[in-house]
Amino acid sequence: MWRDWLLRAAQLIGSLAGAVVLASLLATLSQAVHGFWPFASAFSEKILAAIRGDFGRSAVTGAPAMAGVVAVLPLTLQLLVVGAVIALLAGIPLGIFLSASRTLRAAAPLIQIAASTPVFVAALALIWIAVRVLHWSEPSQASALSFASLMRSGDWNTALRAFALPALTVGAAGAASVQLSLRRAVAFAWSAPYRNGLRMMGLGTLDIDVRYALPDVLAALLRDLGEIVLALISAAAVAEWVFHRDGVAVLFLKSAVFGDWNVAAAALFVFAAITLFFDFVSVLASQLIVPEDGP
Amino acid sequence: MTSAAADISDGAGDSRLRTVISAIGLAGVGLTAVVVALSDVIARAPAGAVNVGPPSLAPNAQYAFGTDVLGRDVLSETVHALAVTFSSAVLAAAIAIVAGAVAGFAAVRAPLRLGTILRALSGVLGAVPVLLLAVVIVGLTSHDFAPVAAGLAASPAIFNRSFDRAMRLARSRHAEYARATGIPDLTLLRRDLVYELRGNFLNVSGRALASTAIALATLSFLGFGAGPPHRDLGLVIAAARANYFDVWWSALFPALALTLFILFARLAAVLDEGEPP
Repeated sequence: MWRDWLLRAAQLIGSLAGAVVLASLLATLSQAVHGFWPFASAFSEKILAAIRGDFGRSAVTGAPAMAGVVAVLPLTLQLLVVGAVIALLAGIPLGIFLSASRTLRAAAPLIQIAASTPVFVAALALIWIAVRVLHWSEPSQASALSFASLMRSGDWNTALRAFALPALTVGAAGAASVQLSLRRAVAFAWSAPYRNGLRMMGLGTLDIDVRYALPDVLAALLRDLGEIVLALISAAAVAEWVFHRDGVAVLFLKSAVFGDWNVAAAALFVFAAITLFFDFVSVLASQLIVPEDGP
Repeated sequence: MTSAAADISDGAGDSRLRTVISAIGLAGVGLTAVVVALSDVIARAPAGAVNVGPPSLAPNAQYAFGTDVLGRDVLSETVHALAVTFSSAVLAAAIAIVAGAVAGFAAVRAPLRLGTILRALSGVLGAVPVLLLAVVIVGLTSHDFAPVAAGLAASPAIFNRSFDRAMRLARSRHAEYARATGIPDLTLLRRDLVYELRGNFLNVSGRALASTAIALATLSFLGFGAGPPHRDLGLVIAAARANYFDVWWSALFPALALTLFILFARLAAVLDEGEPP
């Protein structure tokens, strides 16, 4: 097992190095460098600097690119964490419910109707309901302060309102991924060839489910963690834009508009690093539960 | 009935259900294609025509989807925008299939461990959300490249799945026997591609269509995609946003059209328990 874990750690380092190369390539492509050798030289310089955490300076503010990203990262992480909690709280019961019997499994594709709604459409629908039905104020730049700062000011009501809608948007997108992953895992566990063998050996359905199927389902759900995090990040990017929350995704989009590619490269690296890290953790966690599922 | 027999019966039932769902999805995509082909006939007004009716008119017998703040017929605008979204998504999906699915299969047979290197690179690209990758490509090129950007951005995820599936096939017993009897790699690749096309084309293309349609609409909504006069559904929804608390129909119907198109593509792909999230 240790050998597998070391191999996975090496893969993570390799992937992070790949993300550094990708970010450096983006920063170099945006420069007006002509000819192969000048480009190769600028590219290698960018890579060496990026390894040290230096992604250059913002073309707009002149500040270090990574410092700009790190400054707004907490706002994005808050959204991701709360969104993940909502995704798990909603997605796991939904996935279990839709896997509970054949009739419900048959109805499961109907959830596609909800899952097919693009994140920005869902966000606009939530805003409309909040404003027209609940009579909340429309999300604005002023309401997009961090949850902590609003709580410190004692304005719980505004804090909840400012945070609830984007978090619900991200959570809903994550819940769609979680329930799909869970249903897939349950479908595999239910059709596993060992079930008939164990039944013939006299084990009851509950015993088989608890001792054998449940670890398989958990491990499969954990293996999909990286993809669930990717879905959460995608949703957070859109939610930040729609709800005027100045997080990493909005910084990235604004940088792309202004051609500030050093900042965009740093933001891209941060997003890739988060996903790759959770990919690594998810594989290790799933191997802890079902060791034979290693590489 | 024994549990095993019940399982078999359940499996057959599930398979029938998947066929029905896929047929509904295919019919929906086909219907969308017909609407798109007849868009100039169905839409009473040309794309972007203002003052077709009174401004901000709610849905009624004359204007089924109402009119927006500029007096544009929302039904006509929705149909024209659906045509732009559909044609761009089909092009983007085709790019994603070639750069993802076909390249994934070909990479497994590539010499000098090129496939492994490509898989590692694609793994890194796959760690970045499709939308952000597409934004980078559009930012470095032009808004006119949005369909190409969406297709290329969606391809790493498809490439990874195809590569992994092709790798399993390449290591399977039939491939070992074939190699031992002197059948060249190119023939094996052709065989794998034919089987993939026969077995999974609908699934891969449906997923690619849904994924690229979402990416394209979101790109336009954020201001990185189609521009006037070729407004797609994302841009129509973005334009309606300013007044949608009162003129809700100008955002609702384009949003419904977009969601239905994505839903049909996903149903055609039979995205269910066997698919990744």
